[in-house]
Amino acid sequence: MYKYDAVDKTIVADRVEQFRGQVTRHFAGELSAADLAPLRLRNGLYMQIHAHMLRVSIPYGLVNSEQMRALAQVSRQYDKGYGHFTTRQNIQFNWPELADVPDILQDLSNVEMHAIQTSGNCIRNISSDHYAGVATDEIIDPRPYCEIIRQWSTLHPEFYWLPRKFKIAITGATEDRAAVKFHDIGLEVVYNDEEHIGFRVYVGGGLGRTPVIGKVIKEFLPREDILSYCEAILRVYNLHGRRDNKYKARIKILVNAMGIDDFRDEVEAEWAYFKDGALKLHDTDFETMQDFFPKPAYDDLPAGDNRIKRWRDLDSRFKAWYNNNTVDHIQSGYRIVNVSLKEHGVAPGDATDAQMDAIANIAEQYSFSEIRVTHEQNLVLADIREQDLLDVWKALDAERLATPNIGSVNDMICCPGLDFCSLANASSISVAKQINEKFDDFEELYDIGEVKLKMSGCMNACGHHHVGHIGILGVDKKGEEWYQLTVGGDASNQAALGTHLGRAIAKDKVGDAIGDILHVYKDLRSDDERLLDTFRRVGIDPFKQKVYSEDR
Amino acid sequence: MSTTKIVANRTIKARAKGTPDRIEKDINNFKAIVEQKIIDNSFYHVAETEELGLTDLPQSDISVPMSFWLAHKADLMARDGLVAVQIAADQFPEDLSAEYSDISSIVLPMVSHVDGRSYSHAYILRTRFKYQREIRAIGDVKYDQLGFLTRSGCNAFELSEGENLETALKAFTEMSDIYQPSADGGGLIFSRRRAIH
Repeated sequence: MYKYDAVDKTIVADRVEQFRGQVTRHFAGELSAADLAPLRLRNGLYMQIHAHMLRVSIPYGLVNSEQMRALAQVSRQYDKGYGHFTTRQNIQFNWPELADVPDILQDLSNVEMHAIQTSGNCIRNISSDHYAGVATDEIIDPRPYCEIIRQWSTLHPEFYWLPRKFKIAITGATEDRAAVKFHDIGLEVVYNDEEHIGFRVYVGGGLGRTPVIGKVIKEFLPREDILSYCEAILRVYNLHGRRDNKYKARIKILVNAMGIDDFRDEVEAEWAYFKDGALKLHDTDFETMQDFFPKPAYDDLPAGDNRIKRWRDLDSRFKAWYNNNTVDHIQSGYRIVNVSLKEHGVAPGDATDAQMDAIANIAEQYSFSEIRVTHEQNLVLADIREQDLLDVWKALDAERLATPNIGSVNDMICCPGLDFCSLANASSISVAKQINEKFDDFEELYDIGEVKLKMSGCMNACGHHHVGHIGILGVDKKGEEWYQLTVGGDASNQAALGTHLGRAIAKDKVGDAIGDILHVYKDLRSDDERLLDTFRRVGIDPFKQKVYSEDR
Repeated sequence: MSTTKIVANRTIKARAKGTPDRIEKDINNFKAIVEQKIIDNSFYHVAETEELGLTDLPQSDISVPMSFWLAHKADLMARDGLVAVQIAADQFPEDLSAEYSDISSIVLPMVSHVDGRSYSHAYILRTRFKYQREIRAIGDVKYDQLGFLTRSGCNAFELSEGENLETALKAFTEMSDIYQPSADGGGLIFSRRRAIH
């Protein structure tokens, strides 16, 4: 993975001292709480219902064992012994004291981590494919491009006070696991006719209150121009994006108001001024960056391992885990292992300090000391030898990290909701528990197959409910928590927003409604159809009829 | 950039909620920071009002709204004392493209320090229009904005009330390295690494 050089170290160290100075000035009465707010936000520090919340950046979800141990230590020393992995591949701590935050950031800087631009109206963490470098459908490893954009966008002086937050995602594979069409800028690797590497550029996608599928602004952008083209988009947005209403300030609103063609003309005209200037990248820049993401020193192994195969037949729990939580690897004799953070009864995405330490150790022993965070709030050990799978499973199982539910109804994405978040209208964690309890029969879950269930506690959509195969949105009705359901959303290549099922459902009936939807699916599915495929074929009506047949 | 689209786009209101885009009252500070030094300030910044006429202007060095400059340029240039021109947050440097050789300094009035448009204005003035004279940020300008305003092209500042200018000077040295070029002439990090390899 990327290693800091003297420049990176200097910038992060200076940043820590700058923030320490701001906090000191605040406590001395020289910097008001109101003026501190946008500054602390740009260092990842929010004010939530009960306390501050610190969001630490995990660039494109990649973290090593040493860093994971440092995160565990932060949760022990400064928090309540756990952290929450987010849909943007970051980690949040829910209980830090403001006075401690400069020390936390200093501790993190020692392991090359920071919280810069993890919130505030600026360019956020670059997100990407959690299977980067090991996916069987990969065209190009996106991580070097992620790191190049991370550095350019970090503390960019001109784009630090944008109309609203700005998110960039990159995918280098055939199957889009980074949801690039739901980002302010989405970059998809493509080759042109001359075999030159470039990107198809999407702009103006996003979820939130106004979900929009991103539009193609450029079919082929040569890779050497990615920084200048992003800068042109950002400048047009910074100058023209709305600032009168924060709910209409994202770039998607500007793109829709101008129309993609006029917006493109504006960007291209801006780009023409400086496209061949200082931001142009050279082949050596990509090569140098690629060297930070080398192919690991894989053993030369045959595909398939007889011992592991026998154990799958002998132990149904191991077999279930193998089938659900591991994925084909590009290298013969290896598999990708998903570490489930969706244990029954635990808030989705939460991990304790002991679990983080255990994962760090397992990664160190079996997976080249690297871990990835997925935008579905799980972790990934990307390079596990097939022959080690049984040992890895036992080690994960001992820490309750081997729940065999990846991709199932129980593997839901969920925001912190009313339990922690000051924006939320309704709780999500308790509903997640209700669904977990209703679907505790794994055989039934496997029969249902892939269902991406995503839940947000308010219309800001941190839980990405619009793109869940089943989406759940918490709403407030006269002080009571109600839930609106959608079916048929999809964050991947055939990007689609979910279709509304009907009127909101009472909190204690959400699990039953999900049950009804799955019941209809099982009745109507043909062959290997997933819920999403069946929905696309039959539409919303059969689901609607079943769910509202009883009085809810 | 074609003007038609810009005009069309102006129908989109671009205001932080409840705050105007332009200074609403005249601003007159005794001190300013210019080229990272505290100096006595001579400028009086005139707010845009419908009744504003040439006879309303004070005798001192002044800055005037863009529309006033365009309407009264010859009279303003004949005047004693410096005349700077304001580019408000909802205006564009392109609107003065024929004027820069006649304008002795530019003023960027910031009504809200979280509104980043003036950063792009400064950058465009320095890079596209090669404007080399003073660019001054006024209004809601605070310690923690000085570093990035400087990188974007501003070289003079009048801070908002209550800010300690001596303390604020530290802002210029807080960050000792950068990743990307802006108007400050710094290179892209990758070009610097290229030189090492």
